[in-house]
Amino acid sequence: MFKAKLKEAVICFGAGRVTLKYPFEPVKVPPKFRGKIEFDARKCIGCGGCANVCPPRCIVIEDVGEIAKITFYLDRCIQCARCYEVCPEKAIWPTDEFETATPDKSDLRSDMTIWMSTCQRCGRCFETENAIDKFPSKRWRGRGPGEENKHGIFPVKPPIEFVQRMSLVRESEEKI
Amino acid sequence: MVKEQEFLMELWTHFPDMLQDLQEHVRNQYVATIPREVLPAVVKHAVKQLGARFVITVATDMRQKTGDYRISYILAFDKQKKFLVLQSAVPPDDMKITSVTPDIPAAGWAEREAFDVMGIVPVGHPDPRRLILPDDFPQGVHPLRREFAYNEIFPQEQNMPPRKPAPEGTTVVPLGPFYPTLEEPAYFRLFLDGERVVGSDYRGFYNHRAVEKLGDSELNYNQIPFVAQQICGICGQVHSCAYAQAVEDACGIETPIRAKYIRSLLLELERIHSHLLWVGLAGHIIGFDTILMQAWRIREPVMWLMERVTGNRKHYSSNLIGGVRFDIDETAAEDIRRVMDKVEQELKAVVDAISIDTTLMARLKGVGILTEEDARAIGVVGPVARGSNVPIDCRVDHPYAAYEYLDVQIQVQDGCDSWARTMVRVLELFESIRLVRKILDDMPGGPVMAKVDHELPSGRIGLCSVEAARGESHHYVLTGDENRPYRWRVRAPTYPNLQAVGVMIMGLELADVPISIGSYDPCFSCTERVETLDVNTKEIRIYTREELEEMCKRKTWEKE
Ligand code: SF4
Ligand code: SF4
Repeated sequence: MFKAKLKEAVICFGAGRVTLKYPFEPVKVPPKFRGKIEFDARKCIGCGGCANVCPPRCIVIEDVGEIAKITFYLDRCIQCARCYEVCPEKAIWPTDEFETATPDKSDLRSDMTIWMSTCQRCGRCFETENAIDKFPSKRWRGRGPGEENKHGIFPVKPPIEFVQRMSLVRESEEKI
Repeated sequence: MVKEQEFLMELWTHFPDMLQDLQEHVRNQYVATIPREVLPAVVKHAVKQLGARFVITVATDMRQKTGDYRISYILAFDKQKKFLVLQSAVPPDDMKITSVTPDIPAAGWAEREAFDVMGIVPVGHPDPRRLILPDDFPQGVHPLRREFAYNEIFPQEQNMPPRKPAPEGTTVVPLGPFYPTLEEPAYFRLFLDGERVVGSDYRGFYNHRAVEKLGDSELNYNQIPFVAQQICGICGQVHSCAYAQAVEDACGIETPIRAKYIRSLLLELERIHSHLLWVGLAGHIIGFDTILMQAWRIREPVMWLMERVTGNRKHYSSNLIGGVRFDIDETAAEDIRRVMDKVEQELKAVVDAISIDTTLMARLKGVGILTEEDARAIGVVGPVARGSNVPIDCRVDHPYAAYEYLDVQIQVQDGCDSWARTMVRVLELFESIRLVRKILDDMPGGPVMAKVDHELPSGRIGLCSVEAARGESHHYVLTGDENRPYRWRVRAPTYPNLQAVGVMIMGLELADVPISIGSYDPCFSCTERVETLDVNTKEIRIYTREELEEMCKRKTWEKE
């Protein structure tokens, strides 16, 4: 009994100071750290790859004619790094930033607008000639209307919005 | 037939006409489709006579494919290292199956869940209440049917929660309904006679996050590992690994051997920090905060290590279908070795001190007894089972990742109490450190990601059990079209373990209940508040968290 307490005391005294003075002294993150993402509208070709792989669907691309508007809902981001893994242009990259707490969600939303060119033959908007070929995965098939859902690609949907189902079809439930 | 398949031979001789299309599916999995009428008999025979362990049931809406619903019972034959899936069609106009729960208590929750999510009625179930749906969910709506959209919400309905009546003359103590450190808030109603527990009732699943529904209807194969890792704040790697391996098994994707080693490495590191977390929490629950401080101090370098190696403290985001996303290079390996040496040395000192601490023994020995028969009947997994002398560990029983090359030693204790479970975890810590070193020494070179450029075939079944720190985590995947599973079923280790709580806390004093519940699950630190209601005088008394902690601490001091 006494021996155990003595041993525990030795461990406690031997440990020294282990806490960090965190908010007062900055913490350095390791080089591989996946922090908040940042992006560069000048590099982005609007291919939609990042939006297609993002698991919580926090990158949303809207095509408005010749403009592609990409919105990042970073409040939903789980820092999985899939978006910058697939981006062919390195237009998205991670930063060291991890202090994203804010009282206002809109601080974490950002968007970029990209001007697209229009193909003279088919009328689709694109950025440069080989933009789509640059995308690393061969299973990617473009995000034009009717081209979705083929091989690993899904139409980009907005973040979850709940629909209220008012009229309920009830089945008569059998009692167990 | 070879010896490993003897159990199948025996099943076959008992039910010769029923097991016609029994087929070996992947290396260690058999699938048989049998008529619904004989399903309970076959399950019962397998469990009672052949020593199978009930894992889970999966209810699937197959109406788009076959016009029927389907119910699958998954059984594990641990000695033979095999899984057996027994599945039956359930026609939509007569959705009844005969419940096996009266004979196999382990199936109790799974069958209640099948009713909740799919509407399959287990006839003869001893406790046919709702399990995972809220009590005010509309009748006749079952969320895992295909027509139910993932983003629907419903007008609230009021109906009385079906509750278990308290025995005559007892006091009801609601413990809960929210435990901040469990992912799902849990609510135990304890029936007390004086200070002793004479019965209990559990209501959980308050925070259903619909991950299975998202996997079936929204996310694609490579997005699910990231959502799966968010299922648990501690065993993230476990869930994403189990899911990825289930899909790889189902589709016959050959994972590179180096990727398998990296998965095992991360799993073992995860076990180390999870067990250390639990040791600290257990100390905290009984008011012995020295253990909390020291265990967590030792744990922190492991977390920093994970951040350096994977890029994040907890959610490693390492798995995709076909392999892992990053390699472990020489500097990372050096880091891991160094941290392991330090952790081992410090852990030894702490274990040395606490293993002779009589206060700790007085609080843990003989508390929360779960006998070996009960453990087997309820089908508990992980350290809870191994602390009750049931030597199951799916790293050995159903080897996955690189465990077939690693020679894992199962740590078993026969004390059946909280102390035994603590000892199992402590021994496993040293075992994990040994495994990490072995993995780093043995890791072969090569790629870490298989090339997957074909479309994944649909209609295949894949199963994978992964040993998390708390027990066996089981994932079932039925592949589908549109680049996503048709059905994805997750069974976390706490699911069977929670069912044992009722037995475990029977006859205990109220002050021993938190540590008994805490001893099966590393994710339990403190009870927020306790309310007691005297059934005779209708007097309500609310215990705050401080008071309850005070009660637990006082008991520790008395023992000292
Ligand atoms: S890091 Fe992951 S979650 Fe965050 S935006 Fe990129 S893909 Fe989406
Ligand atoms: S993947 Fe890169 S280039 Fe393509 S849309 Fe996203 S940010 Fe732009």
